[in-house]
Amino acid sequence: MYVLGIESTAHTFGVGIIKDGEVLSNERDIYRPKEGGIIPSEAALHHYNLGPEILKRALEKAKISLTDIDLFAFSQGPGLLPCLKVGYQMIKFLANKYNKNIIGVNHCVAHIEIARKVTGLKDPVMLYVSGGNTQVVTYENGRYVVFGETQDIGVGNLLDKTGRRLGIPFPAGPKIEELAKLGKNYIKLPYVIKGMDVSFSGIETFVSQIIKKHRMEDVCFSLQETVFAMLMEASERAMAYCKKDSLIIAGGVAANTRLNEMGKIMCEERDARFKFMEKEYAGDNGAMIAYTGYLMRDYVQDDLSPRPDFRTDAVEIKYR
Amino acid sequence: MKIIARGAEAIIYENEAEIIKYREEKKYRISEIDVPLRRSRTKREFTALSTCSRAGLKVPKPIKISKEGDKLYMEKINGEQFDYVFSIDKMNEIGKLLADINKLGVVHGDLTTANILVKGEEVYLIDFGLSYFSKKDEDRATDIFLFKNALKARHPKEFKRAYELFIGAYGATMGKEFKGIETHLKDIERRGRYHENS
Repeated sequence: MYVLGIESTAHTFGVGIIKDGEVLSNERDIYRPKEGGIIPSEAALHHYNLGPEILKRALEKAKISLTDIDLFAFSQGPGLLPCLKVGYQMIKFLANKYNKNIIGVNHCVAHIEIARKVTGLKDPVMLYVSGGNTQVVTYENGRYVVFGETQDIGVGNLLDKTGRRLGIPFPAGPKIEELAKLGKNYIKLPYVIKGMDVSFSGIETFVSQIIKKHRMEDVCFSLQETVFAMLMEASERAMAYCKKDSLIIAGGVAANTRLNEMGKIMCEERDARFKFMEKEYAGDNGAMIAYTGYLMRDYVQDDLSPRPDFRTDAVEIKYR
Repeated sequence: MKIIARGAEAIIYENEAEIIKYREEKKYRISEIDVPLRRSRTKREFTALSTCSRAGLKVPKPIKISKEGDKLYMEKINGEQFDYVFSIDKMNEIGKLLADINKLGVVHGDLTTANILVKGEEVYLIDFGLSYFSKKDEDRATDIFLFKNALKARHPKEFKRAYELFIGAYGATMGKEFKGIETHLKDIERRGRYHENS
């Protein structure tokens, strides 16, 4: 069975093709704003313009044609509505044209499913960290339950906002990581954990007030150490509370070496397993949508329209 | 000394008469963050527990803090974790106890079904590691919000009825201050990142 999946929740437009659960191709392009943060309509235009080209590339890599596809999956949310609409319209057009079914996939569920597949960890806690999302998710009672999450902005957004103040273009994560390696002096920042939830907007404000008084390297170092430690603590709490013995980190911020190092240390200290995820599957991608669409192939869905506020735990997991 | 639990934040030991909560070093955190964090949480927990127990509320009585500031000695309660003996008959008592604790100005900060002990008819709240002092409606609402989420995640079948009993008892005990807390609770629930049809 061939499944084609489209990802278009935010910056990334991705097309992935799966054959019986194995990835054949995974193509993408990422919208990068010239300055400032994401402009939803511009991102949507990027997806609209590049979509057909990426689709073509994915088909060529997989060495199949559209007539071979048995099922079309798309990222139904959560995400930015203009971006979601591009993926939805493209999938609707293709499914109608080739007379095949559509599966709407929850973006966060797709992250955890592809992570389980590529790492081989059966029942991990997932720390999902991107620009817009920061969640600690794990499987409980037939759903992926969000055990902890940000009460305000995503951690990637915090890094980008701080990056902008330091003159670092989007996405600021890699440059902040580089500078952090040169930082030596820890500047005390607020450490905000509420139960299993975290909160970043207070830190953002605090950093904006002290940023000029310190070396850039020290600011980046302190920021990373503080917010990653908070994320680790939230992850560890979820692992202890739900009695899970493995951790994966997904999302754009999962590319950060220091964050992965912390995950590894935390897991070693509690005899749990940690597996690093390659960027291809940690970041937003089409293969994760196709793969999850494949898992959900027998679902009957009434509502296929984009859901910008689609919650992770709104999906009943019937295939596990 | 025997290890009785290994939580995310601390190791719990016991001897004949006491429980010792040891906040171990977290190697993933740099010591500039780790050391002051563990000390301040231990101290805060001691203060919260002593405030509540002096008022006669059902929490473990604190005994002392170690010289290094990372071990908290407290009274041993021979109860069972509420998760394992879950019953909606206890929800009333839990609601009342949380309201009494909040009224003293203590916010638990991490109330889950795993942080409640049941000993016969009595209900105890434990693990005040993330507690703090506040009488703000919003902070009190956070206690309710966290407990509500934990209840929903761990006991989905009994959730609705259990929460009704809990919040009913909490509101009755809190009295007229409850109105403001309720408003903030709704606000926090709305503020969460993604909410559909709720």
